[in-house]
Formats: sequence, structure tokens, C-alpha cells
Amino acid sequence: MTEFRFQGMIYSKQYYLDVFKVDTATLDRLVQEGISSGGSYCDIFFENTSYGSLLLRDGAVTSGGNHIDYGVGIRVLSGEKTGYAYSESTSYADMLACAKAAARIADSPSDVSPYGTGSPSRGEPNPDADRYPMRTPWGDLRMDSYLPFLRSLEAKIREKDSRIIKITVSLAFQVSDILMYNSSRELKWDTRPMGSVSATVVFSQNGKVENKSTSRSFRTGAEMLSDSLADEIAAEVVKGIDSRFEAIRPNGGRMPVVMGAGASGILLHEAMGHAFEADFNRKGTSIFSDKMGQRVCPSGINIIDDATIPGARGSLNYDDEGIPGQKTYMVEDGILTSYLHDRISAAHYGVKSTGNGRRESFRYAPLPRMRTTYMESGTARAEDLISSVKKGIYVDEFSNGQVKIGEGDFTFFVKSGFLIENGRLTSPVKDINIIGNGPRALADIEGVADDLAIDPGAWTCGKEQSVPVSCGIPTVLVRELTVGGVK
Amino acid sequence: MRLTDNEIAIAEFCRDYALQNGADKVRITLSKSLMDLTGILNGEIDKTARALDRSIQIALFADGRFGTFSSNRLDEDGLKDFILKAISTVKMLEADPFRTLPSPERLAKDAVTGNELELFDPHYDEIESSWRRDFSLGTSIWNRKESIENGFTVIAEEGEYSDSVFDSLTIDSQGLYARHMETSFEIGYEVTVEDRDGNRYSSYWWDASPLLKDLKAADCAEKAARRAAAQIGPESTRSGKYTVVVDAECASKLLTPVLNALGGYALQQKNSFMDGTIGKKVFPEVLDIWDCPREKGQTGSRFFDSEGVMTKKAPIIEKGVVRQYFLNTYVAAKMSLEPTVEDATRVVVTPVGGFKDAMDLLSGMKDCIYITGFNGGNSNTSTGNFSYGIEGFLVKGGKIVCPLREMLMTGDFITLWNNLVATADDARPCMSKLIPTLAFGNVDISA
Repeated sequence: MTEFRFQGMIYSKQYYLDVFKVDTATLDRLVQEGISSGGSYCDIFFENTSYGSLLLRDGAVTSGGNHIDYGVGIRVLSGEKTGYAYSESTSYADMLACAKAAARIADSPSDVSPYGTGSPSRGEPNPDADRYPMRTPWGDLRMDSYLPFLRSLEAKIREKDSRIIKITVSLAFQVSDILMYNSSRELKWDTRPMGSVSATVVFSQNGKVENKSTSRSFRTGAEMLSDSLADEIAAEVVKGIDSRFEAIRPNGGRMPVVMGAGASGILLHEAMGHAFEADFNRKGTSIFSDKMGQRVCPSGINIIDDATIPGARGSLNYDDEGIPGQKTYMVEDGILTSYLHDRISAAHYGVKSTGNGRRESFRYAPLPRMRTTYMESGTARAEDLISSVKKGIYVDEFSNGQVKIGEGDFTFFVKSGFLIENGRLTSPVKDINIIGNGPRALADIEGVADDLAIDPGAWTCGKEQSVPVSCGIPTVLVRELTVGGVK
Repeated sequence: MRLTDNEIAIAEFCRDYALQNGADKVRITLSKSLMDLTGILNGEIDKTARALDRSIQIALFADGRFGTFSSNRLDEDGLKDFILKAISTVKMLEADPFRTLPSPERLAKDAVTGNELELFDPHYDEIESSWRRDFSLGTSIWNRKESIENGFTVIAEEGEYSDSVFDSLTIDSQGLYARHMETSFEIGYEVTVEDRDGNRYSSYWWDASPLLKDLKAADCAEKAARRAAAQIGPESTRSGKYTVVVDAECASKLLTPVLNALGGYALQQKNSFMDGTIGKKVFPEVLDIWDCPREKGQTGSRFFDSEGVMTKKAPIIEKGVVRQYFLNTYVAAKMSLEPTVEDATRVVVTPVGGFKDAMDLLSGMKDCIYITGFNGGNSNTSTGNFSYGIEGFLVKGGKIVCPLREMLMTGDFITLWNNLVATADDARPCMSKLIPTLAFGNVDISA
């Protein structure tokens, strides 16, 4: 097998053709078959993913494994209609059957649409970028070479707090070889690594039990498993546990909410980002579907979806339609300037794709999906935002967000935070919900601090399919949201 | 599209090859599925998809160590290499004396053909792509939406029809041979409507069945549209303690965390609010919840769990007393308890109070909040505390007064279930958890 590495871990074209046992002439025949019934576009997505996992529980690494997922998906577009079929074999006969099945979406010739050509619409994408170089490829090491890291992490956590009764730490890693071809004769390839470490700790104090989890996930190689990473995870997973035991459920009602920098970005992802995905807008189901070019939040606010942050979980050299990864401004100076597009929605709106066509695996057709979504820093100081609130809530850890795209209503579970009373953080709070409406919350932003943080956790977005994403936000004050409480 | 003799031979080869090359014990699960999906957007076919999957999962025990492996590349040479590497990997892990296969007497012996539960529709093989197209289009209301528009406009209708077949075989090194086969037919719609002021509301409806004849597809889109339209003109009510009625469609949100807390891993890790409750009366006398996994032709039924252990009808909660933890072989050994099954299979909540359906229950409760959906939220596995966004209606005198939005329900599961007032008798047969509409008293609602 030919293997020529360049730019980190991206190999030569021939490496990918060999992995999937195809040549360009075969790819041409398949896309021609795909559009033979009148389809206007056909693309082929090959994937070979190797996964590894290790689990340390009850003091020992007694569980682990490897998994292989290999296959090809063929998509045919006819106007905005999609035909899709996949095979776990890349024999010509099986791929031809897929092409024929996908081709059935077109029952008559349709107008040929351009579906984008890979050119960026905004930002500075570099088609030759390698945003996830691996210095130590995961597959180059034996499985037992990862055990010391897990043991060290467990020991570092255990020494942090005497109330710990259980520790679970896990390592998951994967490397995906991707090859893409389409009826515009664009051939793209990529190798995407991902490493994730997570820790879950159970604490007991005076008969009460609490748990806390944290994770780190990056598109990188095994070099991420450093002492400093273990220190960071150990510190974070015990941080705030005193507050967790003391935390109360406050009285509910409408009140100002200050969202802490970093992980609160999940609220931006759920409550606003999804509504900016162009498929929801193309179908008229998003609350933002008729708001392009309009003010959606106060001036000075920029909201971005970005594939270009090196090593970030949401970063991509190419999206899953072969469009270069890029940085997309959705909101500039408070004005809605771009949806997040795949090739279908880009053709519908007559714009270039923003490189947001993503899929969980070869088993799925791509959809517009977020990558790393964040709000740029403002000019306020976080302390000033908190001190400006007489009575409200400060939240530093959200989970389980959900949004209703049509109405824009969102709900988030607050895992930890504090009451704000007379400008000061007072009683810790937990296990409550915050509910609001996306457009209203955007319009109600009263202050953005200068402390943008991209959260390094293992975030996964579950819109029909699961894809890895990142999120971030600076400290933000929203004038009023509904906070769930005990009365 | 069922497992072929050749594919079954591959599973047997994997078992034997692993044993010949250093594994002490092994369990193999071979799965195969085919799904055809047709998507509808605004009355037209929007997408079609065909998904054929085959994979093999290998649970390997070697030198007192354990690992799990899977691949969808089923060529013999590739599998040989994969198994050798898997055994090598297992031997790099740490020993665990609690890892073993279930004792043979616990294994299922009556799942041989895979269709003993009669979950395979004999007409599945006759379905053609043209029928799927026509059937799917026939479920759309887009071209007759004016007939239901009354003070609102249907602005988007998205639907999916799918049919699938699933066939799996689990074998192990002590003679287990357990096969499960089922077909599934599913229809789902999401409809967005707009009121006269331009406000948008969306909702969904779905149905599923192992047998096509039982699929309720005809009114699915219309139900979704009516559920969306019912939300027009929402109001808020005051925060406080309310009686809430939780519709059968979404009631699992309140029971699933309790079942999860009875799961072995949560218990063994001391991360469960149900820890220490076995044999204790934790819930009210009226609460009976059973696992009924062996009902023929019923969604969710299975003869065996993921280890091949035979399922059986058994109480989970009986007269308020916790009767079962879900303990697989490994967790049970670690906890020095008798193993049961990996998880609840087909959960049935026994109706309480003689109410027929949700409307009957609302009449009985008089003044309450009728919850028809949850919007986000979460629960704490250690404490049982929860907080969920809710959507639904304010009910006065047993009649729906107005829709509600931006409301939250907060509490803890043990208190909530102890405030169970009554239930209807309207569990949806398309679900694997048969939970009727539930009424709880004294629930904290924030607005």
C-alpha cells in the first residue's frame, strides 16, 4: 500500500484510493450511474474509522476494545430532493447497487443546479490546511501504553478530595480516513483524528451523594495525553463540589441571568445556532427564516461558526461535501448576515456553501450542522456584569439544552451556578432549568464581557445524527429569562 | 434480508477462531438490518434512503481479562487479523475476577428461529419501492390542508415513513444460540403552523408497529397539525403547586430515570438515588410496574437480553415495593447479588383509578396543568432531582382553557411518584414502555 504523508497526517490521494479499493475511473462510472435517471448531482463519501476505548473503574483498567466502521454512501440530488444509499462493502457491484438505489429519487430530468463548487463565502479558509495534525498517531501505540495515563489521572483525582467514593475515567479515540468525489469531478480527502478523555466522580458527604463529570476532546493524536491534561481534568472534576453539596433550588420566576464564559456557549448553540441552520430556514420552520439582513441582537455582537480552530473538536479541513472548512459570521454587529449552508441550501438561496454539510458517518446524508459556535468577546468586564444585577442567577454549567426551532423556545438544565444578590454571588444553586425564547434572549443581551472561552469538552450535537462540535461564549448578561424553582 | 447460513457460519467461525487463539470464553453477536426510508416535504417526496447494515460484536474473555470489539468488515481473512489483535489487546488490560459469561441455566433456549415472538411481518418481503412512494404521499395532508386550517395556516409539513427488518444472532462458547428477528414500520410528521399574527408553532405525531397492518398512518400528519395549532395563543400561569396530568405520549420522561436508577452500573457506582431500595416500600401502594418481555406481537418484546439471558415476566415495583434491580452477570458479581437481566425490556404500568383516557382523567382532576410535551431539562442521577421545561394546557373544571408556554416543572422523582393520584388506561402500544397518562398532585411549576 502506498503511503505518502504530508502536512501532519493527511496522506496522498493514492493512500485513500487504496484504502477504499477504488480508482478515479470507477468513481466516474458511479457518479454517472447516479445521475443517469435525471439526477442533477451525485456524490460519494467513503469512510474508514478505527475506534479504541479504555475504561478505568473501581481502580483498574478492566475494560476496553477496538471497533472498525467501513463503508461508502452515495447521494443523488434532484432539485432539492435527496436519494441516498450506502454499503459496508466497496466492491463495485455493491457500490453500483447503491448508485442505482439513490438514483431512483429522480424520476425525470431536472434542472442542473450548481450545488456550490467549494469556494468559500466568507473568512479565510485554506483548502490545504491541516487543522488536526497528529504528532503521535493513535494507531502507532499499543493499547497498554495508554494505561499509565488513566491510572495517573485517577490518582490525581483521588488525592484531591477525601469525599470521593467512586472514580470512572475513560479514554476514547478514533481516526477516520475520508474520501469524497462528486459529479463535478471534485476529489477531496482527509484524515480526522479525535481523542476524548472523561472523568466521572461520585462524592459522599454526611450521607448525601453528588456526582460530577468533566471531559476534554480534541482533534489531535495521542500527544494530548499529557501530565498537564491530567492535572487540568483532575482539578476541574472536583472544582465546585463544596457548592454542589450546599446548593439550593432557588425560588423560580423571571430574572436576569449571567452566563459564565466557556461552557455556557451550549446555550448559544442550541437556542440560536440551530435556528441559523439553513435547512430549517429553507423549509420555513425556523423562527429566523424571514430575518436575513435584520437586526437580531444589539449592535457590537458577532456570532460565529468556525471550522478553522486548530485541534478543536468541531474543526474540519473539509466538510462532508468536500467544501473547505471556514469561519462563518452568522451575526455581524447584531445583524443576521448568513445561515449555515450545505450544498442544497446554498443552491436554494443562491449563495456559496459555508462548509457546514456534515454527517455522522457514511450511513447518513449530510445536513447543515454547526462546527465551533461562539460569540466574540465584547468590551465589558465579567465582574461588572455580575455587579450590575440586583437579583438574578449566575450559571457556570449547563446541560441538556433543547430548542423548538419553529417557536425559538429553549430550555437548559443548570448543573451549577449561584444566586446573584445585590451584585454579589451568594448561595450556590443546582438542578434547575432556565427557559426562554431565542430571538427574545438575543435581543435582551445587555452586556458581553471581554473573556471569550471555547469550552474543550466532548460536546456532541444530536440533530437527527450525532456530530462532534465545540462551543464557547464570553460572560453574557441577559436581561430576563424564566428560572425554574421550588415555588 | 435475514441472516444467511453463510453469515451465521461467519459468527461461528469467529467464536471458534477466538477460542483456538487464546480466548477462554467468547460471545458473538451478529446483526443485520435493512431500512428503507421515504421523506415527505410539503406534499412531495423529499428524500429516499436505503440502509443495509451488518456487524459483528465480539465479547472476549482471556486470562481473566475482558474486552469488547466490533467490525462491519466480515471477510474471513480480515476477521482473523481483527480477532488476533483483539485477543492481544485484551491481554494488555488488567485482570478482573468478576468478568465471566452468564451461567448456562440462565440462558435463553427458546429463541431459535428468531420469530417465536411473531414480530416479523410476513408481508415485508412483498413491499416494493413504488408502494413506499405512494403510501408515503398518501399520508400527507399538504394538498388538503385548507380543510383543517381554522384560524391558522399550515406553513411546513415534514414526514418520514420507514420500514425495516432486523435480524440478530447471539452465540457463545458455552452453547448459547439465541436469535431475534423483527420488522418495524414507522411514520412520523412534524408540522409548523402560523397564526394570524405571524407566530409559529410546531408539533409532531408518530406511530410504529412491528406489523404493517397495525400502523396508524392515516391521521398522523393531521394530528401533528392539530397539536401545533392547539398551542396558538399561549399564556403563562402563576408559579405554584399544581396537580399535573402528563400525557401518555411523554410520560416516559418521568419513569425512565427511575428505571435507570435501578440499573446495575448506577447502583454499583453509588450513583443512584434508588440505591438501597430493593425490597423496600418506596412508592405508594397503588403503584405496580412490571416487566412483560414475552408478549407476542408487541413492540419491545424480547426473549433474551444482550448477554443471551432469558427474560421473564417479573415485577419491578409491586404495591410500591421495589422488587428488581437490573443486574447483568458482571455487576451482580461485583455487588455480591443474584444477577437478573441487563435492563427492563417491556415495561407496563398498571392503570390506577378507572379513568379511560387523558380527557377522562382531566375531567376527574378538574383544575390542573395538562402536560403534552417536555422541552429540555434534566435529572440528577445521584439525588433524583429533576427540572423539565413543559408545554401543555391550563385546565379548569376539567376543560382545557388555554395553552401554556415557558413553564418549568421541578421536583424529585421519589416525591413525585408518591404524589401519584391516578392514571388513565391509554398507554400507546407503539412504545416499549407502556405508560398511561399520569396524574400527580402537589407539583412545583414555575412560570
